[in-house]
Amino acid sequence: MNFTFRLMLRDIRSGDLLTLLFALIISVSTVTSIGLFIDRLQLSFEQESANLLAADRLVRSDDTIAKDWEDKASELTLKTAQRTSFTTMLFAGDSLQLSQISAVTNSYPLKGTFLVDDELFGVGRKSTSSPEKGNIWVSSRLASLLNIQLGDKVEVGDATLTVSKYLVRDPGSSSSAFAISPRAVMSMDDLESTHVIIPGSRVRYSLLLAGDKDALQAYQNWLEPQLNEGQRWQTPTQRGERIGDTIGRAESFLLLAGTLAVVMSGVAMALASARFVKRHLMQVAILKTLGATPPLLRRIFFQQLFALFVVGAGLGLAIGWGLQEVIASLLSGLMSTALPEPSFARLWLGAATGLISMLVFCLPLMSHLIKISPLSVLQPNAKVELNSLFIYLVGFVGMYALMCVYTKGFLLPSIMTAAIAGIALLVAAIGWLAFKLGRSLTSGATSGWQIGLAALYRRLIPNLFQLLVFTLIIMLGLILIGIKSSLISDWQQQLPEDAPNHYLFNVQADQVDAINDQTAQLGVKRSDWYPMVRGRVTAVNDESVQFLYPEERGEPELYERELNLTWSDNLGKGNELVEGDFSAEGLSVEQKAAKEANLSIGDELTINIGGNIVTLPITSIRTVDWGSMQPNFYLILPKSALENYPANFVSSLFIGGDDAQPFYKAMSSFPTVSILNVGDVLKQIQTIIGQLSQAIQLVLLCILSAGALVLLASVRSTLEERLEEGALLRVLGARSALVRQALLVEFGALGIFSGLIAAIGAESCLYGLQVFVFNAQASFHPLLWLIGPVIGVFVISTIGVFASRTVLKVPPMHLLRDL
Amino acid sequence: MTRSTAIKVSNLTHTVTSNTGDLTILKGINMEIKESESVAIVGASGSGKSTLLGLLAGLDVNTSGDIFLYDQAFSSQTEEQRALARGQYVGFVFQSFHLLPSLQAIENVMLPAELKGDKSARQKAELLLDKVGLSHRLTHYPNQLSGGEQQRVAIARAFASNPKILFADEPTGNLDEENGQLIIKLLFELNQSEGTTLVMVTHDNELAKMCDRQLVMSAGQLTERTL
Ligand SMILES: Nc1ncnc2c1ncn2[C@@H]1O[C@H](COP(=O)(O)OP(=O)(O)OP(=O)(O)O)[C@@H](O)[C@H]1O
Ligand SMILES: [Mg+2]
Repeated sequence: MNFTFRLMLRDIRSGDLLTLLFALIISVSTVTSIGLFIDRLQLSFEQESANLLAADRLVRSDDTIAKDWEDKASELTLKTAQRTSFTTMLFAGDSLQLSQISAVTNSYPLKGTFLVDDELFGVGRKSTSSPEKGNIWVSSRLASLLNIQLGDKVEVGDATLTVSKYLVRDPGSSSSAFAISPRAVMSMDDLESTHVIIPGSRVRYSLLLAGDKDALQAYQNWLEPQLNEGQRWQTPTQRGERIGDTIGRAESFLLLAGTLAVVMSGVAMALASARFVKRHLMQVAILKTLGATPPLLRRIFFQQLFALFVVGAGLGLAIGWGLQEVIASLLSGLMSTALPEPSFARLWLGAATGLISMLVFCLPLMSHLIKISPLSVLQPNAKVELNSLFIYLVGFVGMYALMCVYTKGFLLPSIMTAAIAGIALLVAAIGWLAFKLGRSLTSGATSGWQIGLAALYRRLIPNLFQLLVFTLIIMLGLILIGIKSSLISDWQQQLPEDAPNHYLFNVQADQVDAINDQTAQLGVKRSDWYPMVRGRVTAVNDESVQFLYPEERGEPELYERELNLTWSDNLGKGNELVEGDFSAEGLSVEQKAAKEANLSIGDELTINIGGNIVTLPITSIRTVDWGSMQPNFYLILPKSALENYPANFVSSLFIGGDDAQPFYKAMSSFPTVSILNVGDVLKQIQTIIGQLSQAIQLVLLCILSAGALVLLASVRSTLEERLEEGALLRVLGARSALVRQALLVEFGALGIFSGLIAAIGAESCLYGLQVFVFNAQASFHPLLWLIGPVIGVFVISTIGVFASRTVLKVPPMHLLRDL
Repeated sequence: MTRSTAIKVSNLTHTVTSNTGDLTILKGINMEIKESESVAIVGASGSGKSTLLGLLAGLDVNTSGDIFLYDQAFSSQTEEQRALARGQYVGFVFQSFHLLPSLQAIENVMLPAELKGDKSARQKAELLLDKVGLSHRLTHYPNQLSGGEQQRVAIARAFASNPKILFADEPTGNLDEENGQLIIKLLFELNQSEGTTLVMVTHDNELAKMCDRQLVMSAGQLTERTL
């Protein structure tokens, strides 16, 4: 065996190589698993969004598609298809289920494919054709809800259709990877016979277009000037729906977590490298004394590091791959389609993190070491300066570059770097002051307190560095906890036991009394009826919304789509007046929506209701308890503005488990009324959130374990000195209790300070993240201020005393010998 | 018989920077040592003996003046050339031994031969350790050895490179009478049979007297002690 590897094996035996190897494995596997998992999610989002339109371009409209739009398209040799989407009740025997239905023309989809299967919950095969007349494809979820099989009949409004396939994916239907609602696709030719579409029902008409770029551009130029407020030109990149928000946030979270993982593994690698090099100082000096030339040493260490890299990165990649499979399988239950396989090509990220951190942290130190003369290491009073500014600069640039590559941008890395620099300054200032104070308050070496506090100041620089490392790790942990809990509490809504779990939509005025009778007979609790008229905000203070938000980006929700409008004499249950006068002849706007659109009392909104225009001032602003599950409205108009329009009514009910079947049966005599079972939806959402947060916790665990490793590494890096000191103290007669007390004081103080500074840092970072990255409301996290110091003291004293336990146990003679 | 010059030093000065400022340890040293001579360097503690020895072996670079090893000036050489020269001519026993703590005694002794790619490194090392009376301590780690044992391992390691010049910094400093005699015997055997040049620092007057010459280090100057 070659000399290099014999040396290496001997090093492994002594444990010096293992620290570096473990650091490498942990950093490579953390970065790999998170990177791969995020990649899979992103791939899936991309695939979904390519499928999202089922076409190259799409025109979305609240009204039926005009004939001449299609004519113009064929004139430009564009392929077209149409889709009409609506929500209605599907009936099969005794069962019924609110479903999301798309009626599509033969040519649909123009892009992307359906996935269909003959097996319930099958994975699906591609199909570019759409259901034939008389047939309907239903999702497995819908089929199982309705308890039907292929060949069974279902009723859609007045039409009866045959279930011919199980639908796995509709290329145009969902904007997210998560399937929630029961879906079905039918032929456009059957739509009319259903009689489901009535005035006021919420229907989305789409004209799909495909063809070459120029023709599409020509068509867009022709069409866009004609579009009214309810009509939108869409490209595949617009994500449109807000459903993506939750996933988008989870995505940012994972990306952030990944970046933190990169930083953390960088720190771990830097510490482990410094230790590796330190432990090899002697070896290099002796080998040089024995005649080893710098090129030979360079070759030896290059080979060693290379071998270490191959082994460490190999293991790290394998572990990372396994880990991300675990994360993905935790989430598999809620993906409508299997996550795309991770690309092997993405493995480079983990490998590159390992390689770069090894290159930037090990090589400069090592080559410096090889250059200096042996005597400057071996001379008893020699002090080897390894902390050159250059080496840290190289390390920093390397890490920064990695983060940029990782996040595909400069923003996050720059924010992060600035934050870390700020924290470093804070740590230096607070630490220096506090240590100095501690020193001046105590003198002598009679109690553990005195020795411990004195030690803090005596090892000022290493202690400040350690304080910084502790602070950063605790801070990252706190940030992750903060993000996680604010993400999840955002998602999770606590509902009272008997909150309404069903909505009735599309109820005509002449059906209201009959439904009242039915529900009264069944003893079902029901909210008031709210009249509902659909309308769209077209202008604000006489400025057109289209003009204000030409790009359809960042458009406030209030203007984005057709709204449900209502009138009411009194503030409904769960509504609270914030400003203005509810009874005034004007608009009442929900507070968040008003804030998002930057509206205040006195602003005038112009609303298009079925072609008629009304302009009204805002006279009150109110909050709404969305969690109450009462019918809630962004805009409440004065009765006079709406009473002349055909309204349909909406109400919410609470239906207990036993009441459900009789209630559904009773409702089957009102086939055009839509029942939305939000109870089911909520349950589904909660499962998703549960699983998503499980995945996030797993990621958190990865990162924190990397953090623990860093802590250990940094305690170990000053261990030798502590050991020597502890042993000397004991030789000089100190009881081990005294030495232990001194150590506890030293580590405990480090812990408290790092916990406190970490809380300050985490709180400010969370503020920045919430406001700038997640676009959420900033909030204060009192818990972090408690967790930080407590965790700091507890974890750091434990790790510290554990790592230094030899100081206390082993006879001082052995320790002094080892040194 | 005219012997060639093994070491030649002219006007050697050495200054180090310490936290109390610059400190000139060696102030203009001139000397010459012939091949297979044995030379003892004596002097007070802190007078700069170890520093001189290290510079002679090329383990550090002197501030000014010249050191020639077999007519090669260290000062004009690169670190690589110096390392090659060390591998070729020089054996060194440190005052504080400097065994590698992660290596067993035998592995420490094997290093020089291994660096030269010698396949029989282990056998040679076993032989050498046997010679210094440590055949029963082959696989012990340095921290499991006594100071004297460590010193003997260090001497075995210095022998292992078959040096033409052996520098030894207090080779018997930690040894009892018996082991001290053994080492002295070995050193001079090497000097006699292989013609190895011996340069040692010692506080032991007996040992110094056994050498061909004695040099006294004092106030940064080196003077010959005439008997
Ligand atoms: N790199 C250095 N930095 C600072 N001071 C040094 C350095 N090298 C040597 N010295 C100082 O130079 C003086 C000479 O040291 P040296 O080790 O050569 O003494 P010595 O003669 O070998 O003493 P001893 O007999 O005790 O071994 C000492 O005072 C030492 O502290
Ligand atoms: Mg000395």
